[in-house]
Amino acid sequence: MEHNLSKHISGNFNQELENVRNHVLAMGGLVEQQLNSALDAVNDGNAELAKKVEHEDYKVNAMEVSIDEECTRIIAKRQPAASDLRLVVAIAKTIADLERIGDEARRIAKVALESTAKDQQGLLGNIDNMGRHVSSMLHDVLDAFARMDAEAAFKVHKEDAKVDREYEALTRQIMTYMMEDPRSIPKVMDLVWSVRSLERIGDRCQNIAEYVIYFVKGKDIRHISQEDIERDILN
Amino acid sequence: MITVAPEVSAQSDSLKLDLANLTPEQTALEIKNLDLYYGDKQALTDVSMKIPKGQVTAFIGPSGCGKSTLLRCINRMNDLVDICRIEGEILLQGQNIYDKSVDVAALRRNVGMVFQRPNPFPKSIYENVVYGLRLQGIKDKRKLDEVVEKSLRGAALWEEVKDRLHDSAFGLSGGQQQRLVIARSIAIEPEVLLLDEPTSALDPISTLVIEELINDLKNKYTVVIVTHNMQQAARVSDQTAFMYMGELIEYADTNTLFTTPAKKQTEDYITGRYG
Repeated sequence: MEHNLSKHISGNFNQELENVRNHVLAMGGLVEQQLNSALDAVNDGNAELAKKVEHEDYKVNAMEVSIDEECTRIIAKRQPAASDLRLVVAIAKTIADLERIGDEARRIAKVALESTAKDQQGLLGNIDNMGRHVSSMLHDVLDAFARMDAEAAFKVHKEDAKVDREYEALTRQIMTYMMEDPRSIPKVMDLVWSVRSLERIGDRCQNIAEYVIYFVKGKDIRHISQEDIERDILN
Repeated sequence: MITVAPEVSAQSDSLKLDLANLTPEQTALEIKNLDLYYGDKQALTDVSMKIPKGQVTAFIGPSGCGKSTLLRCINRMNDLVDICRIEGEILLQGQNIYDKSVDVAALRRNVGMVFQRPNPFPKSIYENVVYGLRLQGIKDKRKLDEVVEKSLRGAALWEEVKDRLHDSAFGLSGGQQQRLVIARSIAIEPEVLLLDEPTSALDPISTLVIEELINDLKNKYTVVIVTHNMQQAARVSDQTAFMYMGELIEYADTNTLFTTPAKKQTEDYITGRYG
């Protein structure tokens, strides 16, 4: 079924849905920027940029609150049904995940505030690779949201498995590092947390992909295997 | 693979009937290939559906889509329209109500109807309720008293009128009058109750009282309701049928129809878009 936000008899309703959708995209853009800045800060050891990421997080939080309020208002005033209802529900869930991604970005940025030893640079490089991968997932899922494209969302959904593998590999690498030099453990723990944060961001992108598919296809794909999704829902 | 809590899925399954394949025990009414013409104009085209027993089924659709016409077919109200011609069947308890052998008065005792505007008779509240029984020749005062209390309780009106049963029905408010008319309909214990926009002339609070009543009624009766108010259909019905230009476009359980309709026309209508 083709999805079109406009064409309601009520022009105001069109406008309200369009606005809330644009606000989600703006929030998504901000979160993406926060994540990329956090990764840059860690990669370059740029404490100033890291502090900026920490400081800017309040904007993400404020956007979540205001979009949530918009959704509540639309439900109260318009009693949305069918795809309109699914859109509002999907948005309410998406922004919760975006807000948490914002928190994770902030946590990652903290790593840049600590000085890293020279021999940890290799590790940082690998974390940066994983970070860029996760960041591209976020970018793609927001893009899928903007275009209401279930196929594109499903691509992101599948991507998470790769992130999980990277997470395992990196964790193993960090453990080896710790075993070789136990004195480094306190410092390396920060890296462990940031890798964990990246893995969680991958999961949250996967969640958002699920909401996009729910909106477009009207099917809840949580806890269903990817083969079943591909066979039963997307085709 | 499936991680839905079992009690959750069991509950939603019990509510969800397979509408296309209802068993005879589950079916109150079956409409089969119904065509209806007003003169040359076709008002209903090949409508087929099964209406489940003991549930609320709502007909929705834009003005002139045929939903009231379809409702009126169920107790042969269209017989009163001279230029009306009907083809197809409506089965009640397996019998075609358009069969020549059917006594229309008996049919209407089985299939009660409530209209848009409350239409109490210019009599007392008591006499309104027992009207149908008096027509049947029942005179036993104790029996009549019993039916009055039971019907008024059933229509959620008893507490408000029990001290003035012999006052004129016109002294009641619009919402109370509508509940009185429902009490009058259920006094003769029909199997099916047809409601044609029962709340469109009522204030919002009376509307909610009637909606609550509809929910109570479905335990005993099969309720079919026509409504212009989509949210009302969503609130009160178990099944919803969307009609457009005389055709049944989509018929599904209400939860599905209002969250994930299968047809674009349904989607456009319930979300308030141009068709």
